[in-house]
Amino acid sequence: MKNNTLKVLSWAVLACAAPYSVPLFAAGNPAMAGTGDTTITEEQFLKAAKESFPWATPAEFDERVKNDVTLAICNKTNGQPNAAETDVILKFEQSRMEYPKDGKRYGDWKKGQEWAEGAHGGRIGFADADDPAHPNGANCYACHAIDLNFPAAGNMGPSLTNYGKLRGQSEPMIKYTYEKVFNAKALVPCSLMPRYGGKGHLLTAEQVADITAFLLDPASPVNLPPKAAAQ
Amino acid sequence: MKKKLAWLFIASPMVFGSQILPTYAESPTDEDKKFEAYREAMADFNPGDFWIEDGEKLFHEQRGPKNVSLEQCDLGLGPGVVKGAYAQLPRYFKDTNRVETLEGRLLGCMVNLQGFDEEKITKPYYQSLAEEDGTKSDLVELVAYVASQSNGEPYRVKLENAAEKQAYELGKYAFYHRMGAMDLACASCHATPGLVLRGVHLPVMTDPATAGKVMTAFPAYVIKDANVRTWFWRNERCLLAMRLPFLKVNSDLDVALHLFQVMEASKTDTPIAVPGIKPRA
Repeated sequence: MKNNTLKVLSWAVLACAAPYSVPLFAAGNPAMAGTGDTTITEEQFLKAAKESFPWATPAEFDERVKNDVTLAICNKTNGQPNAAETDVILKFEQSRMEYPKDGKRYGDWKKGQEWAEGAHGGRIGFADADDPAHPNGANCYACHAIDLNFPAAGNMGPSLTNYGKLRGQSEPMIKYTYEKVFNAKALVPCSLMPRYGGKGHLLTAEQVADITAFLLDPASPVNLPPKAAAQ
Repeated sequence: MKKKLAWLFIASPMVFGSQILPTYAESPTDEDKKFEAYREAMADFNPGDFWIEDGEKLFHEQRGPKNVSLEQCDLGLGPGVVKGAYAQLPRYFKDTNRVETLEGRLLGCMVNLQGFDEEKITKPYYQSLAEEDGTKSDLVELVAYVASQSNGEPYRVKLENAAEKQAYELGKYAFYHRMGAMDLACASCHATPGLVLRGVHLPVMTDPATAGKVMTAFPAYVIKDANVRTWFWRNERCLLAMRLPFLKVNSDLDVALHLFQVMEASKTDTPIAVPGIKPRA
């Protein structure tokens, strides 16, 4: 009797909590949704895509339009891979993890600030799209609030303001932060966050280390009170 | 009088622009309200009207290697009928055996009736965004003119045959399909209410009221670019931001994405009112 009451109570608590436990980053959100309920096959889609992107080189088409193992699963499952599929993704993405040549995952926070603010890079068709003299940015502010002195932010990812102040600069935290920025899908299989490191993505390992420092360093504006507004 | 208006045109982005640029501290609603006031101030003088005037001239002018006008161009309601044509597009055309957008159909008429070289019109030639911003295209002027001839009417696009249904399904598939170097789908940004991207409030294109409001304003005069932008351009810019290749006008994905979104807009009675005015689009 008592057991049953407890069971009912715990289900009731779970049921009430459920609507609040599905924030933006959980499965079942349209932002995470894949291709889902449809009569179209991936082959039909790729045929249409081939006709629609006639100026893409075969290499560009393969790298940018075709899904890799990870996105294929995320699309097929509406962002909700089962245990076996999760395993496939995590193994594949963890095998793609790279670190800077000097082994340092904690770079220069001032450079990291520049990469975080920059929105340049990786766009096809522009003369300076992949100019090696002009390194790519990560456009972190598209989705996150970070340094509150920066005039814009997005809300598609969580706020990273005071990231290092709240978490400290321990080795495991440095490793976690580095890996999250380098390849979010090595940690969360169908994360909404883009993979930034590795072939076909925007950042070098050194840049990811710089961003890691930007987020964690006590001297970085991320972890300091914002300057008084200019007004 | 004319000179005065021109000054308003040049000065207004400076005067109002500083107030309408969004910051993260500001709610999208505040931003919308400020821009609404700007839009009202511009109501009697929309620079996009120049595109419509020029488009009307182009439509009737004898042009191209074959030296004919577009008066025999069938936009779905019979040769040369422009009134209400935009409100019922995209749709299937028997002569091309394709579902086509207004922009695609006009392109086809420029190629097939007038003899223009298709690739010269559609292939991206420019080397920078600034170069493209400064280019006034004949095709966009024509789209702006014909679209304006549906002003006051709501979209009433229908799925009446297998080709249209197939194109719609492809549009839905593409909209929810994650791809590109950023691992994003259209739906990542445009299927959830309340999302903000780098200070910009993102429209939910799966919501009929929003789709109706947004799509009835296109083609729109975009202040940031000082140019008129079509719905094809809007979708292409999103794909480029996803680091996908240039999209071709009237290609399968262009038509499919346009159709998928305009079907939502067609559920509303929001009247087409082009050219709209957009801060950045």
